[in-house]
Amino acid sequence: MMDDREDRLDNLIRDAARDYNAPPATPRAEMWEAIRASRDAARTEVRPLVVRPARSPLRLVFGIAALLALGVAIGRLTVPSRERASPTAAQPSLAASPEAAPSAPEQRERGEAAARYATDDHLTQVETFLTEFGTRPVAPEFSAQAQDLLTDTRLLLDSKRVVDPRIRKLLEDLELVLAQIATLDPRAKDRDRDLIADGLAQSHLRTRLRNAIPAGSVIRL
Amino acid sequence: MEPTSLVARVLAGDQDAERELYDSHVDRVYRLIYRMVGDGELAADYTQDTFIRTFERLAGFRGESALSTWITAIAISVVYNGQRKVKRLRAREVDLEYADPVATPSREADPDLKVKLARAIEELPMGYRTVFLMHDVEGYTHLEIGSALGIQEGTSKAQLSRARAKLRDQLAEYAGDKAS
Repeated sequence: MMDDREDRLDNLIRDAARDYNAPPATPRAEMWEAIRASRDAARTEVRPLVVRPARSPLRLVFGIAALLALGVAIGRLTVPSRERASPTAAQPSLAASPEAAPSAPEQRERGEAAARYATDDHLTQVETFLTEFGTRPVAPEFSAQAQDLLTDTRLLLDSKRVVDPRIRKLLEDLELVLAQIATLDPRAKDRDRDLIADGLAQSHLRTRLRNAIPAGSVIRL
Repeated sequence: MEPTSLVARVLAGDQDAERELYDSHVDRVYRLIYRMVGDGELAADYTQDTFIRTFERLAGFRGESALSTWITAIAISVVYNGQRKVKRLRAREVDLEYADPVATPSREADPDLKVKLARAIEELPMGYRTVFLMHDVEGYTHLEIGSALGIQEGTSKAQLSRARAKLRDQLAEYAGDKAS
């Protein structure tokens, strides 16, 4: 009796569940276009000419300060932790063997690893920001956040450690979008935001971003 | 065409083969993802990610499971990762103006079975929900679900059973006259 009632309820649930998030027709062509664009971007190594907006002297000062901060951060990541843990161990010593110092290739490798880490972290933040930007009405904080992210984007572009042409192209495209958002008037209507969001969709920037971020990257909100 | 030769063509750089592979699997992938997220834009984003990752990782496909199951596993991983971010993002939204009306229904409302069911499904733990949607809604077998989720077939059955039990609890009021 009880089982019968359970079966009937299960059937009722199963029937009703067919309408739960019922999928529309698959947008095959649009999705394929985005996939192709991402695949093509991954295949090509040609960097298009990008005209960067002029920088004001004040921005340049902030940029230099931020570059120094990034340099310190990269330095902290690349110096072995035991050297940082014990200040005396970091002092030059006559007895230190030449093998103790990392070789030039090792140093380069460490620098590139630190740059990759910084880039992944940055791209994760930009992706989160763009997702939020695309789903909320225009808010005053968007402009300030975009400014910060724009500064970091430019620092990474200026870094010789960021060598992957795919990442560099992505950063260049992000630079343009973030510059648009940074200059967006907070009093602007949602239509202005939608224009930028449309541009984002057409360049498949969010898809490219997600694919550039390794699985398991840190999410900072 | 045999899946193995299609895979070989994709790996050789044949772009027509990429499209062929996409066409063969996209409907099933998109349907499942849409069922899981219920949003057209997100579903399209996740489906695109799934295929981009599929093409990038295809060299690692060893044929130990069906290609469709392998792609489904990638799709589920993409959805889980994506939804974690969306969840965190939405948790930050404190402005009630933008609150999802389905997620915060009025207590006075008397929603019908489908609305109550939708809410009950949303409240299921992610694993139960995935198994329920895959099996009872999209018709995947427990073998396919097990392979795609990286769990035993028996675990899939147990999770489905628990999911159904939770849904029955939530919708017990329909067990009487409405279920007959």
